[in-house]
Amino acid sequence: MKEPVVRKGLGAVLAVALWAAAAASATAQSAKPVDLEGVWKIATPAASLKPVGGSVPFTAAGRKHYEKNKQLRAKAAYDEYDITLSRCSSPGATRLMLTPMRFKIWQRQGVVTFDYEWNRAIRQIDTRGLPPQHDDMFGSDLVPTMTGNSKGHWEGSTLVAVTDNINERTLIDDLVPHTVDLKVTEHIRLVDHETLEDRITIEDPAYFNRAWDAVITYKRQPAAPFPEDVCLDRLEAHQPVFPAQ
Amino acid sequence: MRTEVAFAGGLKGFALAGAVALSLVAGGAFAQPPGSPPQGPSGAQPPSGPPGGPPGPTGGNAANPFAPPEPQLTEAQKLAQSLPAPQPGGMLPVPANDADAPMPAADPRDLQGTWIHNQNLEFRMQRDMYGNLVPYTMAGAKVLERRVMSLKNGAPFINASAKCRPPGPQWQRDLNMPFQIFQSKDWLEVVFEEYHGRWHILLNPDAAPAPAQKDYMGRSVGHWDGDTLVVETSDFREATWLDVDGTPLSAKGKLIQRIRKVDTGDREPFLEIITTIEDPLYYTKPWSVVRTFGWHPAFAKFKEYNCEEQIGDPSISANAGLVPEPTD
Repeated sequence: MKEPVVRKGLGAVLAVALWAAAAASATAQSAKPVDLEGVWKIATPAASLKPVGGSVPFTAAGRKHYEKNKQLRAKAAYDEYDITLSRCSSPGATRLMLTPMRFKIWQRQGVVTFDYEWNRAIRQIDTRGLPPQHDDMFGSDLVPTMTGNSKGHWEGSTLVAVTDNINERTLIDDLVPHTVDLKVTEHIRLVDHETLEDRITIEDPAYFNRAWDAVITYKRQPAAPFPEDVCLDRLEAHQPVFPAQ
Repeated sequence: MRTEVAFAGGLKGFALAGAVALSLVAGGAFAQPPGSPPQGPSGAQPPSGPPGGPPGPTGGNAANPFAPPEPQLTEAQKLAQSLPAPQPGGMLPVPANDADAPMPAADPRDLQGTWIHNQNLEFRMQRDMYGNLVPYTMAGAKVLERRVMSLKNGAPFINASAKCRPPGPQWQRDLNMPFQIFQSKDWLEVVFEEYHGRWHILLNPDAAPAPAQKDYMGRSVGHWDGDTLVVETSDFREATWLDVDGTPLSAKGKLIQRIRKVDTGDREPFLEIITTIEDPLYYTKPWSVVRTFGWHPAFAKFKEYNCEEQIGDPSISANAGLVPEPTD
Protein backbone atom coordinates (compact mmCIF):
# COMPACT_ATOMS: atom_id res chain seq x y z
CA MET A 1 0.00 0.00 0.00
CA LYS A 2 3.06 2.21 -0.01
CA GLU A 3 3.01 2.62 -3.75
CA PRO A 4 0.67 5.64 -3.93
CA VAL A 5 2.75 7.38 -1.21
CA VAL A 6 5.92 6.68 -3.16
CA ARG A 7 4.32 8.03 -6.33
CA LYS A 8 3.28 11.21 -4.53
CA GLY A 9 6.75 11.58 -3.06
CA LEU A 10 8.41 11.14 -6.43
CA GLY A 11 5.98 13.56 -7.97
CA ALA A 12 6.82 16.18 -5.37
CA VAL A 13 10.51 15.68 -5.91
CA LEU A 14 10.05 15.95 -9.64
CA ALA A 15 8.01 19.11 -9.27
CA VAL A 16 10.65 20.69 -7.07
CA ALA A 17 13.36 19.68 -9.51
CA LEU A 18 11.45 21.15 -12.42
CA TRP A 19 10.83 24.36 -10.48
CA ALA A 20 14.51 24.65 -9.55
CA ALA A 21 15.58 24.09 -13.14
CA ALA A 22 13.14 26.71 -14.36
CA ALA A 23 14.37 29.18 -11.77
CA ALA A 24 18.00 28.55 -12.68
CA SER A 25 17.19 28.90 -16.34
CA ALA A 26 15.40 32.17 -15.73
CA THR A 27 18.33 33.49 -13.73
CA ALA A 28 20.78 32.47 -16.42
CA GLN A 29 18.65 34.04 -19.11
CA SER A 30 18.30 37.31 -17.15
CA ALA A 31 22.08 37.49 -16.32
CA LYS A 32 22.92 39.34 -19.48
CA PRO A 33 25.63 41.97 -19.43
CA VAL A 34 24.26 45.40 -18.82
CA ASP A 35 25.88 48.26 -20.69
CA LEU A 36 27.99 50.10 -18.12
CA GLU A 37 30.03 51.84 -20.80
CA GLY A 38 30.49 55.54 -20.50
CA VAL A 39 32.42 58.18 -18.64
CA TRP A 40 31.94 58.30 -14.87
CA LYS A 41 33.02 60.46 -11.96
CA ILE A 42 32.72 59.88 -8.24
CA ALA A 43 29.66 61.66 -6.84
CA THR A 44 31.16 62.49 -3.46
CA PRO A 45 34.96 62.62 -3.54
CA ALA A 46 36.64 61.04 -0.56
CA ALA A 47 40.10 59.75 0.19
CA SER A 48 38.83 57.06 2.56
CA LEU A 49 36.38 54.24 2.21
CA LYS A 50 33.48 54.72 4.58
CA PRO A 51 32.20 51.40 5.98
CA VAL A 52 28.46 50.88 5.82
CA GLY A 53 27.01 51.12 9.30
CA GLY A 54 30.06 51.76 11.40
CA SER A 55 33.81 51.80 11.46
CA VAL A 56 36.42 49.52 9.96
CA PRO A 57 36.36 46.29 12.05
CA PHE A 58 40.09 45.97 12.57
CA THR A 59 41.71 43.04 14.28
CA ALA A 60 44.51 43.94 16.67
CA ALA A 61 47.08 43.39 13.94
CA GLY A 62 45.11 45.45 11.47
CA ARG A 63 44.66 48.28 13.93
CA LYS A 64 48.35 48.28 14.76
CA HIS A 65 49.31 48.54 11.08
CA TYR A 66 46.72 51.24 10.49
CA GLU A 67 47.97 53.35 13.40
CA LYS A 68 51.50 52.97 12.14
CA ASN A 69 50.39 54.29 8.73
CA LYS A 70 48.85 57.30 10.44
CA GLN A 71 52.10 58.03 12.25
CA LEU A 72 54.07 57.73 9.03
CA ARG A 73 51.65 60.09 7.30
CA ALA A 74 52.07 62.61 10.09
CA LYS A 75 55.82 62.49 9.48
CA ALA A 76 55.29 62.70 5.68
CA ALA A 77 57.19 59.41 5.37
CA TYR A 78 55.03 58.45 2.43
CA ASP A 79 57.32 55.94 0.80
CA GLU A 80 57.20 53.81 3.91
CA TYR A 81 53.48 53.16 3.64
CA ASP A 82 52.01 54.73 0.48
CA ILE A 83 54.01 54.26 -2.70
CA THR A 84 51.19 55.80 -4.71
CA LEU A 85 51.86 59.14 -3.06
CA SER A 86 55.62 58.73 -3.14
CA ARG A 87 56.09 57.10 -6.54
CA CYS A 88 52.80 57.31 -8.52
CA SER A 89 52.59 53.54 -8.29
CA SER A 90 49.18 52.15 -9.19
CA PRO A 91 46.75 52.80 -6.33
CA GLY A 92 45.24 49.34 -6.64
CA ALA A 93 41.73 48.14 -7.29
CA THR A 94 39.78 49.71 -4.42
CA ARG A 95 41.66 52.99 -4.24
CA LEU A 96 41.31 53.49 -7.98
CA MET A 97 37.56 53.39 -7.44
CA LEU A 98 38.03 56.42 -5.16
CA THR A 99 39.77 58.46 -7.85
CA PRO A 100 38.46 62.02 -7.93
CA MET A 101 39.13 62.17 -11.68
CA ARG A 102 37.02 60.61 -14.39
CA PHE A 103 37.19 57.09 -15.70
CA LYS A 104 35.67 55.25 -18.63
CA ILE A 105 34.24 51.77 -18.68
CA TRP A 106 34.64 49.61 -21.77
CA GLN A 107 33.02 46.20 -22.08
CA ARG A 108 34.60 44.38 -24.97
CA GLN A 109 35.44 40.79 -25.79
CA GLY A 110 34.46 39.59 -22.34
CA VAL A 111 36.73 41.99 -20.49
CA VAL A 112 35.50 45.04 -18.58
CA THR A 113 38.17 47.72 -18.69
CA PHE A 114 38.26 50.66 -16.31
CA ASP A 115 40.21 53.35 -18.15
CA TYR A 116 41.24 56.10 -15.71
CA GLU A 117 42.03 59.70 -16.42
CA TRP A 118 44.49 59.60 -13.50
CA ASN A 119 47.87 58.65 -14.88
CA ARG A 120 46.27 56.58 -17.68
CA ALA A 121 45.79 53.80 -15.13
CA ILE A 122 43.72 50.77 -15.98
CA ARG A 123 42.20 47.83 -14.21
CA GLN A 124 40.30 45.03 -15.86
CA ILE A 125 37.68 42.48 -14.85
CA ASP A 126 37.73 39.27 -16.82
CA THR A 127 34.26 37.82 -17.35
CA ARG A 128 35.25 35.14 -19.83
CA GLY A 129 35.49 32.39 -17.24
CA LEU A 130 38.74 31.10 -18.68
CA PRO A 131 40.97 28.77 -16.66
CA PRO A 132 44.18 30.31 -15.29
CA GLN A 133 46.60 30.86 -18.12
CA HIS A 134 50.24 30.56 -17.26
CA ASP A 135 51.48 31.83 -20.55
CA ASP A 136 54.38 33.75 -19.11
CA MET A 137 57.68 31.90 -19.03
CA PHE A 138 58.64 33.91 -15.95
CA GLY A 139 55.50 32.89 -14.05
CA SER A 140 54.83 36.56 -13.45
CA ASP A 141 51.07 36.00 -13.44
CA LEU A 142 51.47 34.28 -10.08
CA VAL A 143 53.00 37.35 -8.45
CA PRO A 144 50.61 39.72 -6.67
CA THR A 145 49.98 42.88 -8.64
CA MET A 146 48.73 46.28 -7.61
CA THR A 147 45.31 45.78 -9.17
CA GLY A 148 45.21 42.06 -8.41
CA ASN A 149 43.41 39.47 -10.45
CA SER A 150 39.74 40.26 -11.07
CA LYS A 151 37.22 37.69 -12.24
CA GLY A 152 33.67 38.72 -12.90
CA HIS A 153 30.26 37.39 -13.80
CA TRP A 154 26.79 38.79 -14.13
CA GLU A 155 24.05 38.19 -11.62
CA GLY A 156 20.95 39.69 -13.11
CA SER A 157 21.95 43.21 -14.03
CA THR A 158 24.84 43.37 -11.56
CA LEU A 159 28.46 42.76 -12.40
CA VAL A 160 29.99 40.79 -9.57
CA ALA A 161 33.78 40.98 -9.52
CA VAL A 162 36.09 39.16 -7.14
CA THR A 163 39.66 40.39 -6.89
CA ASP A 164 42.51 38.68 -5.13
CA ASN A 165 46.29 38.35 -5.45
CA ILE A 166 46.66 42.04 -4.58
CA ASN A 167 50.11 43.33 -3.76
CA GLU A 168 50.20 44.34 -0.10
CA ARG A 169 52.15 47.48 -1.01
CA THR A 170 48.83 49.00 -2.00
CA LEU A 171 46.34 50.46 0.46
CA ILE A 172 42.60 49.86 0.49
CA ASP A 173 42.19 53.63 0.53
CA ASP A 174 44.51 56.40 1.72
CA LEU A 175 45.47 54.65 4.96
CA VAL A 176 43.86 51.25 5.50
CA PRO A 177 46.38 48.45 5.00
CA HIS A 178 45.81 44.86 3.98
CA THR A 179 47.66 41.60 3.62
CA VAL A 180 48.21 39.54 0.51
CA ASP A 181 45.12 37.53 1.53
CA LEU A 182 42.82 40.44 0.82
CA LYS A 183 39.74 39.54 -1.18
CA VAL A 184 37.60 42.28 -2.67
CA THR A 185 34.11 41.55 -3.94
CA GLU A 186 32.34 44.24 -5.90
CA HIS A 187 28.72 44.47 -6.95
CA ILE A 188 28.64 47.02 -9.74
CA ARG A 189 25.32 48.13 -11.13
CA LEU A 190 23.43 50.96 -12.74
CA VAL A 191 21.12 52.54 -10.22
CA ASP A 192 19.70 54.51 -13.11
CA HIS A 193 21.12 55.61 -16.44
CA GLU A 194 23.06 58.45 -14.81
CA THR A 195 24.22 56.70 -11.64
CA LEU A 196 26.64 53.84 -11.18
CA GLU A 197 27.08 52.09 -7.86
CA ASP A 198 29.96 49.95 -6.63
CA ARG A 199 29.29 48.07 -3.40
CA ILE A 200 32.69 46.89 -2.20
CA THR A 201 33.07 44.05 0.28
CA ILE A 202 36.45 43.76 1.99
CA GLU A 203 37.65 40.48 3.46
CA ASP A 204 41.06 39.98 5.05
CA PRO A 205 40.83 37.85 8.20
CA ALA A 206 44.28 38.83 9.45
CA TYR A 207 43.35 42.52 9.54
CA PHE A 208 39.55 42.61 9.80
CA ASN A 209 37.52 40.46 12.14
CA ARG A 210 34.63 40.35 9.71
CA ALA A 211 33.81 41.31 6.15
CA TRP A 212 32.81 44.93 5.74
CA ASP A 213 31.15 46.93 2.99
CA ALA A 214 31.47 50.38 1.51
CA VAL A 215 29.38 51.89 -1.26
CA ILE A 216 30.60 54.40 -3.84
CA THR A 217 28.40 56.08 -6.40
CA TYR A 218 29.38 57.76 -9.62
CA LYS A 219 27.63 60.12 -11.99
CA ARG A 220 27.71 59.84 -15.74
CA GLN A 221 29.79 62.45 -17.54
CA PRO A 222 29.83 63.64 -21.16
CA ALA A 223 31.92 61.49 -23.45
CA ALA A 224 35.31 63.04 -24.15
CA PRO A 225 38.89 61.95 -24.70
CA PHE A 226 40.92 62.42 -21.52
CA PRO A 227 43.94 64.72 -21.54
CA GLU A 228 47.31 63.02 -21.19
CA ASP A 229 47.99 62.76 -17.47
CA VAL A 230 51.50 61.90 -16.26
CA CYS A 231 51.69 61.57 -12.49
CA LEU A 232 55.49 61.32 -12.46
CA ASP A 233 55.69 64.80 -13.97
CA ARG A 234 53.59 66.13 -11.10
CA LEU A 235 55.76 64.32 -8.60
CA GLU A 236 58.89 65.76 -10.16
CA ALA A 237 57.37 69.23 -9.96
CA HIS A 238 56.41 68.68 -6.29
CA GLN A 239 52.73 68.89 -7.16
CA PRO A 240 50.00 66.70 -5.64
CA VAL A 241 49.90 63.19 -6.97
CA PHE A 242 46.12 63.41 -6.88
CA PRO A 243 45.27 66.82 -8.32
CA ALA A 244 42.48 68.74 -6.65
CA GLN A 245 39.24 68.46 -8.60
CA MET B 1 58.41 40.13 -11.32
CA ARG B 2 56.74 41.79 -14.24
CA THR B 3 57.36 45.37 -13.17
CA GLU B 4 60.99 44.61 -12.42
CA VAL B 5 61.46 43.07 -15.82
CA ALA B 6 59.76 46.05 -17.37
CA PHE B 7 62.07 48.38 -15.43
CA ALA B 8 65.13 46.52 -16.66
CA GLY B 9 63.71 46.84 -20.12
CA GLY B 10 63.20 50.55 -19.67
CA LEU B 11 66.88 51.08 -18.89
CA LYS B 12 67.94 49.60 -22.21
CA GLY B 13 64.91 50.99 -23.81
CA PHE B 14 63.60 47.53 -23.90
CA ALA B 15 65.81 44.77 -22.78
CA LEU B 16 62.60 42.92 -22.04
CA ALA B 17 61.85 42.64 -25.72
CA GLY B 18 65.33 41.32 -26.39
CA ALA B 19 65.32 38.98 -23.40
CA VAL B 20 62.10 37.31 -24.35
CA ALA B 21 62.66 37.26 -28.09
CA LEU B 22 62.37 33.58 -28.65
CA SER B 23 62.86 33.45 -32.38
CA LEU B 24 65.61 35.36 -34.06
CA VAL B 25 64.74 35.48 -37.66
CA ALA B 26 67.26 36.67 -40.17
CA GLY B 27 65.95 39.35 -42.42
CA GLY B 28 64.38 41.46 -39.67
CA ALA B 29 61.51 43.57 -40.79
CA PHE B 30 61.94 42.59 -44.40
CA ALA B 31 60.83 39.00 -43.93
CA GLN B 32 57.32 38.44 -45.16
CA PRO B 33 55.09 37.73 -42.17
CA PRO B 34 51.41 37.50 -42.95
CA GLY B 35 50.03 40.80 -44.02
CA SER B 36 53.26 42.55 -44.97
CA PRO B 37 53.01 44.51 -48.16
CA PRO B 38 55.16 43.16 -50.96
CA GLN B 39 58.65 44.54 -51.29
CA GLY B 40 58.93 47.48 -53.59
CA PRO B 41 56.46 50.19 -54.37
CA SER B 42 54.42 48.36 -56.93
CA GLY B 43 52.18 46.35 -54.61
CA ALA B 44 52.22 48.51 -51.49
CA GLN B 45 50.10 51.41 -50.43
CA PRO B 46 52.15 54.45 -51.35
CA PRO B 47 53.45 56.55 -48.48
CA SER B 48 53.54 60.27 -48.81
CA GLY B 49 56.69 61.45 -50.54
CA PRO B 50 58.60 60.00 -53.47
CA PRO B 51 59.97 56.45 -53.53
CA GLY B 52 63.08 56.15 -51.42
CA GLY B 53 66.68 55.55 -52.23
CA PRO B 54 69.40 57.92 -53.23
CA PRO B 55 70.21 58.17 -56.93
CA GLY B 56 72.96 55.79 -57.90
CA PRO B 57 75.16 54.99 -60.83
CA THR B 58 73.97 52.94 -63.74
CA GLY B 59 73.44 49.33 -62.74
CA GLY B 60 75.37 46.29 -63.75
CA ASN B 61 78.89 45.14 -63.17
CA ALA B 62 81.48 43.01 -64.86
CA ALA B 63 80.13 39.83 -63.31
CA ASN B 64 76.45 40.62 -63.80
CA PRO B 65 75.32 43.32 -66.18
CA PHE B 66 71.79 43.06 -64.86
CA ALA B 67 72.66 43.69 -61.21
CA PRO B 68 70.82 46.61 -59.64
CA PRO B 69 72.83 49.77 -59.20
CA GLU B 70 74.94 49.94 -56.05
CA PRO B 71 73.50 52.64 -53.80
CA GLN B 72 75.59 55.73 -53.41
CA LEU B 73 75.63 56.46 -49.71
CA THR B 74 75.66 59.97 -48.38
CA GLU B 75 78.19 60.84 -45.68
CA ALA B 76 75.35 60.75 -43.17
CA GLN B 77 74.32 57.29 -44.27
CA LYS B 78 77.90 56.10 -44.11
CA LEU B 79 78.07 57.31 -40.52
CA ALA B 80 74.83 55.54 -39.62
CA GLN B 81 76.03 52.35 -41.31
CA SER B 82 79.32 52.44 -39.42
CA LEU B 83 77.66 52.15 -36.02
CA PRO B 84 77.57 48.91 -34.06
CA ALA B 85 74.76 46.71 -35.32
CA PRO B 86 71.52 46.70 -33.35
CA GLN B 87 70.41 43.76 -31.28
CA PRO B 88 68.47 41.28 -33.37
CA GLY B 89 64.77 41.47 -32.67
CA GLY B 90 62.40 38.59 -32.27
CA MET B 91 58.76 37.95 -31.67
CA LEU B 92 56.97 36.26 -28.83
CA PRO B 93 55.04 33.27 -30.11
CA VAL B 94 51.39 34.19 -30.55
CA PRO B 95 48.90 31.34 -30.86
CA ALA B 96 46.38 31.29 -33.67
CA ASN B 97 42.86 32.44 -32.86
CA ASP B 98 40.55 29.76 -31.51
CA ALA B 99 37.99 28.38 -33.91
CA ASP B 100 35.22 30.12 -31.99
CA ALA B 101 37.06 33.40 -31.40
CA PRO B 102 35.03 36.47 -32.35
CA MET B 103 36.19 38.21 -35.50
CA PRO B 104 36.40 41.96 -36.13
CA ALA B 105 33.41 43.94 -37.30
CA ALA B 106 32.70 43.62 -41.01
CA ASP B 107 32.79 47.41 -41.39
CA PRO B 108 36.31 48.16 -42.66
CA ARG B 109 36.20 51.48 -40.81
CA ASP B 110 35.58 49.78 -37.47
CA LEU B 111 39.04 49.12 -36.11
CA GLN B 112 37.90 48.14 -32.64
CA GLY B 113 39.27 45.12 -30.88
CA THR B 114 42.48 43.69 -29.53
CA TRP B 115 45.60 43.62 -31.66
CA ILE B 116 49.19 42.59 -31.13
CA HIS B 117 52.41 43.12 -33.07
CA ASN B 118 53.03 40.08 -35.26
CA GLN B 119 56.39 40.87 -36.77
CA ASN B 120 59.89 40.64 -35.38
CA LEU B 121 60.73 43.69 -33.33
CA GLU B 122 63.19 46.13 -34.83
CA PHE B 123 65.46 47.73 -32.26
CA ARG B 124 66.81 50.18 -34.84
CA MET B 125 65.08 51.08 -38.08
CA GLN B 126 67.88 50.95 -40.60
CA ARG B 127 65.88 50.73 -43.79
CA ASP B 128 62.52 51.95 -45.00
CA MET B 129 59.68 49.72 -46.13
CA TYR B 130 61.26 49.40 -49.58
CA GLY B 131 64.64 48.32 -48.26
CA ASN B 132 66.37 51.66 -48.79
CA LEU B 133 68.66 53.04 -46.14
CA VAL B 134 67.16 55.69 -43.89
CA PRO B 135 67.81 59.09 -45.52
CA TYR B 136 69.62 60.77 -42.62
CA THR B 137 70.87 64.30 -42.65
CA MET B 138 74.25 64.61 -40.95
CA ALA B 139 72.46 66.09 -37.93
CA GLY B 140 70.21 63.04 -37.72
CA ALA B 141 73.06 60.60 -38.14
CA LYS B 142 75.02 62.30 -35.39
CA VAL B 143 72.08 62.08 -32.99
CA LEU B 144 71.79 58.38 -33.76
CA GLU B 145 75.53 57.98 -33.32
CA ARG B 146 75.64 59.55 -29.87
CA ARG B 147 72.65 57.47 -28.71
CA VAL B 148 73.99 54.18 -29.99
CA MET B 149 77.45 54.87 -28.59
CA SER B 150 76.05 55.97 -25.22
CA LEU B 151 74.51 52.56 -24.91
CA LYS B 152 77.69 50.82 -26.03
CA ASN B 153 79.69 52.85 -23.53
CA GLY B 154 77.44 51.87 -20.67
CA ALA B 155 76.01 55.36 -20.12
CA PRO B 156 72.64 55.27 -21.88
CA PHE B 157 70.76 58.47 -22.34
CA ILE B 158 67.56 59.39 -20.61
CA ASN B 159 64.57 58.81 -22.83
CA ALA B 160 60.84 58.78 -22.27
CA SER B 161 60.51 55.02 -22.13
CA ALA B 162 63.31 54.61 -19.60
CA LYS B 163 61.65 57.21 -17.39
CA CYS B 164 58.24 55.56 -17.56
CA ARG B 165 56.83 58.39 -19.64
CA PRO B 166 54.71 57.95 -22.79
CA PRO B 167 57.24 57.08 -25.52
CA GLY B 168 55.45 58.53 -28.54
CA PRO B 169 53.18 56.65 -30.96
CA GLN B 170 55.86 54.88 -32.99
CA TRP B 171 57.75 53.33 -30.07
CA GLN B 172 54.50 52.67 -28.23
CA ARG B 173 53.26 50.54 -31.12
CA ASP B 174 56.57 48.86 -31.83
CA LEU B 175 56.37 46.49 -28.88
CA ASN B 176 55.04 42.98 -28.78
CA MET B 177 52.33 43.61 -26.26
CA PRO B 178 48.65 43.98 -27.05
CA PHE B 179 46.50 47.05 -27.41
CA GLN B 180 42.77 47.64 -27.68
CA ILE B 181 41.06 50.14 -29.93
CA PHE B 182 37.80 51.83 -28.99
CA GLN B 183 36.19 54.31 -31.31
CA SER B 184 33.33 56.72 -31.62
CA LYS B 185 32.39 59.03 -34.44
CA ASP B 186 34.63 61.77 -33.01
CA TRP B 187 37.77 59.93 -31.92
CA LEU B 188 39.57 56.67 -31.50
CA GLU B 189 41.24 55.67 -28.28
CA VAL B 190 44.03 53.13 -28.31
CA VAL B 191 44.81 51.60 -24.92
CA PHE B 192 48.14 49.81 -24.66
CA GLU B 193 49.25 47.22 -22.15
CA GLU B 194 52.79 48.57 -22.26
CA TYR B 195 53.32 51.73 -20.20
CA HIS B 196 49.53 51.61 -19.64
CA GLY B 197 49.71 53.87 -22.69
CA ARG B 198 47.03 55.85 -24.46
CA TRP B 199 46.88 57.21 -27.98
CA HIS B 200 43.95 59.41 -28.93
CA ILE B 201 43.17 60.01 -32.58
CA LEU B 202 40.76 62.87 -33.09
CA LEU B 203 38.40 62.57 -36.02
CA ASN B 204 36.78 65.77 -34.84
CA PRO B 205 39.52 68.06 -33.48
CA ASP B 206 36.89 70.11 -31.68
CA ALA B 207 36.26 67.10 -29.43
CA ALA B 208 39.46 67.94 -27.55
CA PRO B 209 41.09 71.36 -27.59
CA ALA B 210 44.86 71.44 -27.87
CA PRO B 211 46.34 71.15 -24.38
CA ALA B 212 48.14 74.05 -22.74
CA GLN B 213 51.23 71.89 -22.50
CA LYS B 214 52.04 69.60 -25.39
CA ASP B 215 51.72 65.88 -24.92
CA TYR B 216 54.43 63.25 -25.02
CA MET B 217 52.27 61.42 -27.56
CA GLY B 218 51.80 64.58 -29.61
CA ARG B 219 48.47 65.54 -31.06
CA SER B 220 46.90 63.17 -33.57
CA VAL B 221 44.19 64.15 -36.01
CA GLY B 222 42.76 61.61 -38.40
CA HIS B 223 40.45 61.40 -41.38
CA TRP B 224 39.20 58.57 -43.54
CA ASP B 225 40.61 58.12 -47.02
CA GLY B 226 38.36 55.41 -48.32
CA ASP B 227 38.76 52.67 -45.76
CA THR B 228 42.18 53.83 -44.65
CA LEU B 229 42.48 56.00 -41.57
CA VAL B 230 45.12 58.65 -42.17
CA VAL B 231 46.48 60.07 -38.92
CA GLU B 232 48.83 63.02 -38.68
CA THR B 233 50.71 63.32 -35.40
CA SER B 234 52.68 66.42 -34.51
CA ASP B 235 53.15 68.90 -31.68
CA PHE B 236 55.28 66.64 -29.53
CA ARG B 237 56.25 67.84 -26.10
CA GLU B 238 59.84 66.83 -26.67
CA ALA B 239 62.03 65.03 -29.17
CA THR B 240 61.10 61.36 -29.27
CA TRP B 241 62.95 58.16 -29.90
CA LEU B 242 61.32 56.21 -32.69
CA ASP B 243 62.86 52.97 -31.47
CA VAL B 244 65.00 51.43 -28.73
CA ASP B 245 68.28 52.55 -30.26
CA GLY B 246 67.13 56.13 -30.61
CA THR B 247 66.25 56.68 -34.26
CA PRO B 248 65.46 60.36 -33.84
CA LEU B 249 62.40 62.50 -34.31
CA SER B 250 62.65 66.11 -33.29
CA ALA B 251 59.88 67.88 -31.41
CA LYS B 252 58.93 69.52 -34.69
CA GLY B 253 58.83 66.21 -36.53
CA LYS B 254 55.67 64.67 -37.86
CA LEU B 255 54.34 61.15 -38.23
CA ILE B 256 51.73 60.26 -40.80
CA GLN B 257 50.13 56.92 -40.12
CA ARG B 258 47.96 55.12 -42.64
CA ILE B 259 45.95 52.47 -40.88
CA ARG B 260 43.79 49.87 -42.51
CA LYS B 261 42.19 46.62 -41.50
CA VAL B 262 42.92 43.61 -43.65
CA ASP B 263 40.84 40.46 -43.56
CA THR B 264 41.68 37.76 -46.06
CA GLY B 265 39.13 35.34 -44.63
CA ASP B 266 41.67 33.08 -42.95
CA ARG B 267 40.51 34.05 -39.44
CA GLU B 268 43.79 35.90 -38.91
CA PRO B 269 42.87 39.48 -39.76
CA PHE B 270 45.38 42.20 -39.05
CA LEU B 271 45.90 45.94 -38.95
CA GLU B 272 48.47 47.40 -41.27
CA ILE B 273 50.05 50.70 -40.23
CA ILE B 274 52.35 52.49 -42.65
CA THR B 275 54.15 55.28 -40.80
CA THR B 276 55.78 58.06 -42.76
CA ILE B 277 58.39 60.03 -40.86
CA GLU B 278 58.81 63.67 -41.82
CA ASP B 279 61.52 65.65 -40.11
CA PRO B 280 63.67 67.94 -42.28
CA LEU B 281 66.09 68.43 -39.39
CA TYR B 282 67.06 64.76 -39.32
CA TYR B 283 66.05 63.33 -42.69
CA THR B 284 66.59 64.55 -46.22
CA LYS B 285 63.14 63.39 -47.23
CA PRO B 286 60.12 61.54 -45.78
CA TRP B 287 60.52 57.81 -45.36
CA SER B 288 58.15 55.06 -44.34
CA VAL B 289 58.03 51.83 -42.37
CA VAL B 290 55.21 49.31 -42.19
CA ARG B 291 54.01 47.24 -39.27
CA THR B 292 51.23 44.71 -38.92
CA PHE B 293 49.25 43.78 -35.84
CA GLY B 294 47.29 40.56 -35.65
CA TRP B 295 43.76 40.31 -34.30
CA HIS B 296 43.79 38.47 -30.97
CA PRO B 297 40.75 38.87 -28.71
CA ALA B 298 42.29 36.37 -26.30
CA PHE B 299 44.74 39.12 -25.30
CA ALA B 300 42.00 41.56 -24.25
CA LYS B 301 42.96 41.03 -20.60
CA PHE B 302 46.25 42.84 -20.16
CA LYS B 303 49.07 42.13 -17.79
CA GLU B 304 49.71 44.91 -15.31
CA TYR B 305 52.39 47.44 -16.23
CA ASN B 306 53.48 49.54 -13.28
CA CYS B 307 56.85 51.02 -14.14
CA GLU B 308 56.22 53.86 -11.67
CA GLU B 309 56.94 51.51 -8.80
CA GLN B 310 60.60 51.38 -9.84
CA ILE B 311 61.10 54.68 -11.61
CA GLY B 312 59.40 56.65 -8.85
CA ASP B 313 61.47 55.05 -6.10
CA PRO B 314 62.92 57.98 -4.17
CA SER B 315 65.86 55.88 -3.01
CA ILE B 316 67.27 55.67 -6.52
CA SER B 317 68.40 58.40 -8.86
CA ALA B 318 65.63 60.42 -10.45
CA ASN B 319 67.11 59.47 -13.79
CA ALA B 320 67.31 55.78 -12.96
CA GLY B 321 71.02 55.76 -13.67
CA LEU B 322 70.70 57.20 -17.13
CA VAL B 323 72.51 60.35 -18.19
CA PRO B 324 71.11 63.48 -19.77
CA GLU B 325 71.52 63.60 -23.51
CA PRO B 326 73.39 66.59 -24.91
CA THR B 327 71.17 68.94 -26.81
CA ASP B 328 71.76 69.70 -30.45
